[in-house]
Amino acid sequence: MSTISLHDTHHHDSHDDHGHHKETFLTKYVFSQDHKMIAKQFLITGIIMAVIAMGLSILFRLQLAWPEKNFPILETFLGTWAEGGRIKPDFYLALVTIHGTIMVFFVLTAGLSGTFSNLLIPLQIGARDMASPFLNMLSYWFFFMACVIMMSSFFIQTGPASAGWTIYPPLSALPTAIKGSAMGMTLWLISMVLFVASSLMGGINYVSTVLNMRTKGMDLWKMPLTIWAFFLTAILGILSFPVLVAGVVLLIFDRSFGTSFYLSDIVMGTQVLPNEGGSPILWQHLFWFLGHPEVYIVIMPALGISSEVISVNARKPIFGYHAMVYSLIGITILSFIVWGHHMFVTGMNPLLGGVFMITTLIIAVPSAVKTFNYLATLWRGNIRFTPAMLFAIGLVSFFISGGLTGLFLGNASLDINLHDTYFVVAHFHLVMGSAAIFGMLAGVYHWYPKMFGKMMNSKLGYLHFWLTFISAYLVFFPLHFLGLDGVPRRYYAFTEFEFMQKWLTVNVFVTWAAILGALAQVAFLWNFFSSIFFGKKAPQNPWDSNTLEWTTPVEHIHGNWPGEIPTVYRWPYDYSKPGAEEDFIPQTVPFSQTMSSNMPHDFEGNTEAEQIQKDWEAKNSKPDTDKLV
Amino acid sequence: MVHTLKEQDLGYEAVTDTKPKKFVLWLFVVASTIMFGGFTSFYIVFAASKGKGHGLVLPEAFMYSTLILIGSSVCLFFASKALKSGNKGMQQLFLWATAALALTFGYLQVDAWSALFRTGATLVNNNAAISLIYIVSGMHLLHILGGLGFIFSSLAGSYMNLSAARAKYRMELASIFWHFIDILWIYLYVFLLLNS
Repeated sequence: MSTISLHDTHHHDSHDDHGHHKETFLTKYVFSQDHKMIAKQFLITGIIMAVIAMGLSILFRLQLAWPEKNFPILETFLGTWAEGGRIKPDFYLALVTIHGTIMVFFVLTAGLSGTFSNLLIPLQIGARDMASPFLNMLSYWFFFMACVIMMSSFFIQTGPASAGWTIYPPLSALPTAIKGSAMGMTLWLISMVLFVASSLMGGINYVSTVLNMRTKGMDLWKMPLTIWAFFLTAILGILSFPVLVAGVVLLIFDRSFGTSFYLSDIVMGTQVLPNEGGSPILWQHLFWFLGHPEVYIVIMPALGISSEVISVNARKPIFGYHAMVYSLIGITILSFIVWGHHMFVTGMNPLLGGVFMITTLIIAVPSAVKTFNYLATLWRGNIRFTPAMLFAIGLVSFFISGGLTGLFLGNASLDINLHDTYFVVAHFHLVMGSAAIFGMLAGVYHWYPKMFGKMMNSKLGYLHFWLTFISAYLVFFPLHFLGLDGVPRRYYAFTEFEFMQKWLTVNVFVTWAAILGALAQVAFLWNFFSSIFFGKKAPQNPWDSNTLEWTTPVEHIHGNWPGEIPTVYRWPYDYSKPGAEEDFIPQTVPFSQTMSSNMPHDFEGNTEAEQIQKDWEAKNSKPDTDKLV
Repeated sequence: MVHTLKEQDLGYEAVTDTKPKKFVLWLFVVASTIMFGGFTSFYIVFAASKGKGHGLVLPEAFMYSTLILIGSSVCLFFASKALKSGNKGMQQLFLWATAALALTFGYLQVDAWSALFRTGATLVNNNAAISLIYIVSGMHLLHILGGLGFIFSSLAGSYMNLSAARAKYRMELASIFWHFIDILWIYLYVFLLLNS
């Protein structure tokens, strides 16, 4: 390599031109095949989609809090969907549907996995790029098209899909059933097919990269927990998304070609539909066979990110590394045999319900293992409260408070009361909504220096954290009580039902809290976008972290490392190791350079190395005893 | 600074390994298998709850198309063998034969659909099991189209005189995918035969 600089200049120029094609604006920023750029594309698209989905939630919260009030400004923006300044029932349903769809799929699946798997897998395992950079680029552009098509449904007369993010037939299968089941539903289905294609291309790439392209010395048990989480998430996606495709294909045929996969015995007005013999329950099976793993696709990357962030900022090795990995594997496997707990009230055989209940409750075990390990890592740590650390701790908090209500909902008999009430809304918004978004934000604050080479402002970060944390609890906690009282979700107005009227005041409170939470995001958005241009320049390893990504230069280069990829000698969590000179030892430091801090188990049974260590200790033991005396 | 760093990593492009990319295709095979698993589980649950399957004698065309598809797999096997022994002419001949058999397969599938249609077992049907025959064979046919893409990419590679490694790589991709869709069809056909 060094020969290049020794050549004559004219020779050198021609060599350079021959060596790689010139990067244009288009290949560098738009159709980039560099995983770091693709990660940024996913992140920024994800942030834009998150802001849109949050805006939608504020709209329907306005309706819930003040059902009798007119907001003329809404008519200005929404036209006939908010005639007289009040959101129409049809549009209310569209709002909750698209809010759910965007948040679950576009933000917390693509925005989270797409960003951090892309950024961190090659950087943390020591690879030049993904297995197939081209497929990776395609994955982003399919995602982008899916976003555009989903949003385009706001610009058609009948409005976006409105059957809920789970689009249960027959409501979703009959274009004339409600306005939202017309063109909007078709666009939803097209968008989701593109989305699934995108996540499959991404996931397949992640798995192949992790299994085939690790640097020298990086065996599976030396991988950071982030990589374990992304890897298992990708496997979950590969095994569950295709089932959704199968379900969606059948739904498309029911909607557009007149088949009867999900339809039977339906009367519309006075007209009896010809469809017969299908079963809408079969859609629920196919949907939730994806849908339940999907919630783990959402939460597992966030758990992986917080493992890393908590360990780095507690300056302690992660507690129970192996237990963390095995509980991720446990969650991965269990997530495939619990989908029935979404369907307890569909007339399921009680015995089958019991089986699904048991498998569901068993998931509490690996989840609790992870929670206790986070707490044990924090215990007596030398904690640095960076914004990323606060968000990671926030995740643990939401994971506990939201996870506990999962025990109620997973119980087949209690679920009869709680099914489809605000209790469910409160549960999943805490355990997978807030927890996952906090994990994602922790990741953004932590790896921002790696992504943009700049530091984010931590004061704004603290403001962002505290306002978001408090408002998230203020929004979602009261909803539990509505649910216990039997208030159903997705209802347009509480004014028509006597027993729900007492909750109107709570709705006002929740809406104000939601508005506070939304305003708090301005602090984040300002911080994020302004720091790209005006942020302080980041040092190479701003958090004194052990993992490989911090050994790459701050300026991004295609191929990640100049020259050779570093070799890995140790696990990623050697923080505050007794006897070490500093409180962190990067993975690239061989044991021969840290003789004073090596432990017998570091050598994994390598007797030769153990002997060398013993000899060294014998030679150096004298000064040590002197010191003690 | 950035510029000089870039020059140093010129070397790595040359040593790109094909193993991870082949693995990508294998993972796609897994994903696709699961999608068809979704369809056939739908079929099983549907048939069990209604107490009836499609209840048809499948058209003979399906049997012939199955044989044709197996034949195409055999041709592809010989094409890959020819490439290994360095006989490009034979490789191209067998690849063309594979493609021709694939098109015949497609024709026979459509013929089977029309045979089904003539007997009244239409796509729009109150027995979802019958509709599902069209869906699975149709989705499989889409895979055949994708497979043809791989076949033609090997053919193009052979005519363009790519380096031995590149030609072998394209041939391997075609083989993985084509044998997969062959086995997939056999699975679907046997499944439909057994669960009438």
